[in-house]
Amino acid sequence: MIRSSLLLAITTFAYLLCALLYLSGVIFRRRTIMLWGSVTVAAALAIQMAGILLRWRESYQIGYGHAPLSNLYESLVFAAWAIMLIYLVMEYRTKQRALGVFPALFAFLAMAYASFSTGVSSKIQPLLPALKSNWLIAHVVTCFLGYAAFAVSCGISILYIARNSKQETTGGASSLLPDLRQLDELNYQMVLFGFLWLSLGIITGSVWADLAWGTYWSWDPKETWSLITWLIYAALLHARNMKGWRGSRVAWLSIIGFVCVLFTYFGVNFLLGGLHSYANTK
Amino acid sequence: MQKKVFWQGIYQKLASPKLTVVIFLVLAAASVVGTLLPQRLSEAELQGHYGQRAIWFIMTFGLNDLYHTGWFRLLLLFLCTNLVVCTIKRLPKTLKIFRRGEEQVDPEKLANCSFNCQFISNLSQDETESRLISIISEEFGSLRRLDGADHFAGVAENGRWSLLMVYVVHLSVLFVLCGALVGSIFGFRGFMNILEGEAVSEVMLEGSDRGLNLPFQVRCDKFDVSYYDNGMPREFRSDLTLIRDGKEILKQELRVNDPLTYAGITFYQASYGAILKDAEVELIDRKLGVVRRCILPFREWVNIPGTRDRAQILRFEEDFRHLGSAMVLLISRDGRDAAGSWILIDRDFHGNKIENYDVKVLHATQMSYTGLQVKQDPGIWLVWLGFAAMLVGTGLTYYVSHRKLWVWAAADAPGKEWTKIVIAGRINRNELSFERKFNSLCDRLQAELRQERGGLKP
Repeated sequence: MIRSSLLLAITTFAYLLCALLYLSGVIFRRRTIMLWGSVTVAAALAIQMAGILLRWRESYQIGYGHAPLSNLYESLVFAAWAIMLIYLVMEYRTKQRALGVFPALFAFLAMAYASFSTGVSSKIQPLLPALKSNWLIAHVVTCFLGYAAFAVSCGISILYIARNSKQETTGGASSLLPDLRQLDELNYQMVLFGFLWLSLGIITGSVWADLAWGTYWSWDPKETWSLITWLIYAALLHARNMKGWRGSRVAWLSIIGFVCVLFTYFGVNFLLGGLHSYANTK
Repeated sequence: MQKKVFWQGIYQKLASPKLTVVIFLVLAAASVVGTLLPQRLSEAELQGHYGQRAIWFIMTFGLNDLYHTGWFRLLLLFLCTNLVVCTIKRLPKTLKIFRRGEEQVDPEKLANCSFNCQFISNLSQDETESRLISIISEEFGSLRRLDGADHFAGVAENGRWSLLMVYVVHLSVLFVLCGALVGSIFGFRGFMNILEGEAVSEVMLEGSDRGLNLPFQVRCDKFDVSYYDNGMPREFRSDLTLIRDGKEILKQELRVNDPLTYAGITFYQASYGAILKDAEVELIDRKLGVVRRCILPFREWVNIPGTRDRAQILRFEEDFRHLGSAMVLLISRDGRDAAGSWILIDRDFHGNKIENYDVKVLHATQMSYTGLQVKQDPGIWLVWLGFAAMLVGTGLTYYVSHRKLWVWAAADAPGKEWTKIVIAGRINRNELSFERKFNSLCDRLQAELRQERGGLKP
């Protein structure tokens, strides 16, 4: 009998392989290697999906019966999946394979952290009464789709800045990258997509909090940090649309935004505590 | 006059997009401070962590309750003002674009559009027209014709209403903030602890010492906690009955995530606990070697049988320093001042001694109470409406863009067969994909309108 832990372990290394394939494709300027990267991503996504579904089933077999979105381990796994899914759709639509290095790296890091850190328990645990709600799925899925889009956008921003700093050397590794205008446009679309999901995530969280605790906003650190993230990206969108910001400045704002995402996700759990303390490790 | 200029200046400043971005970033920065500094600590609690100067700073700017300070609310008000002023300033222009149906197309202006192309067709004007119409309709949607006396012209437009979506999003922010305001003015939030079997109508209001009497009573018939086999709590449940004028009007089970609403007031399962009803204790008189037993109701003096001594349970804690439940027992010998000590209930602890007695608790009867969060929030519908509008607004902003395509065609020169064609396009978002589409349209048009050149016609 295959267990979910095996499938997820395979996924971890598959994402490492993806990152290496994309990277060597860019370095050695071989499109075929990058194509293999894309094939590996698709396969890893399928294996991971199977792993997640299997874990869901296993939780029913133990008798707890809940979606695998309830603790740090499960959310990290879902985050990796969402990053690669969003990336793959973008790759399919833009036909730009060289952008895959960072998303694959982020997905690998998330999976590796979930699997190997002693601070993250991969045990299937029962749900606390506060989490027993259908809003759990809606809230976690929407938030993490937003986070994942911001991760992809952060990767694009890093590439933009890297490419921008090199004074147009034709040839070189950057020849496989889309041009600056395209990167900027893609970045904007990714941020807008993430912003939509983050808004949805905050709103579902808010509606749920009202149902569970009788208050839709309590300035708890997690809520506040998600609002901070939202404000940074709102500032980015306004700066781009109203003030005509383009390029590096937008890229830097997007990177700052992603740092906020990371802090909302990890920093708040480990440093600040609050209502979301069940997202903590143990 | 001076005054008018001044106000004009303020108005322009308030409407500037720069201000919006600055407010966003200032709000974000203020929120960061509020999360790094623990909130709702009193000055006394701050003493242990910070120096005098830091405490003065924290108290002066209210940083220990930052989100409820005047200056933070002022920031939110500032955001609203900026929003409203921007809307007042821009909406008329948007509406103009929204309403305007162009009457004519000027080929000179088309050449200034960010996307444009011109070419000459060697087909006749009629033939050119019919092909332009069919190809553009196929690729860009139906063409509205704006022909002039000597030329053919048309506009194809899509998603014009998406121009309004940004206002929907802005309005939604106002809705949410107004909803919060209405809730804080006309609503209340509090809690009530109800013992099993007891009926209560008073709600203790949050952040004040006042209570509020509900027009009905809430009775807790039973409170129950169930556990998973690994010891984690599975469910908290209160069986509640609402009573009005002595009549039972509603019976319902209350669980976490499943609140109960009656008459606009909502109850949430929030906490639970236990108090001591009475305890049966064994008192061993060390001097005489006599064992005496008695039942002590909570906080009532009781004579220890066979003596002139009295005993009372003064306090009770469910978990005293992680040693399990414990109570403070007072014993007054012979009418003298009482002596007391913490007595561990579940453990036969050798320190359980008061005066000349060794104390052992034989049985303690506890009563559980359920802790309910209670609230009334008439502003919540505004908040929900705001949320919905925000989602619809941002969603459509993402998925729909406003794009426009103009086409103009006329005889290249009077009396000539060939036709000059000018095409131009504009989009407010997703320029790259539009550019691709526009270029492929131009390529196709050029190919199809020129195909006869060079005698390709069969």
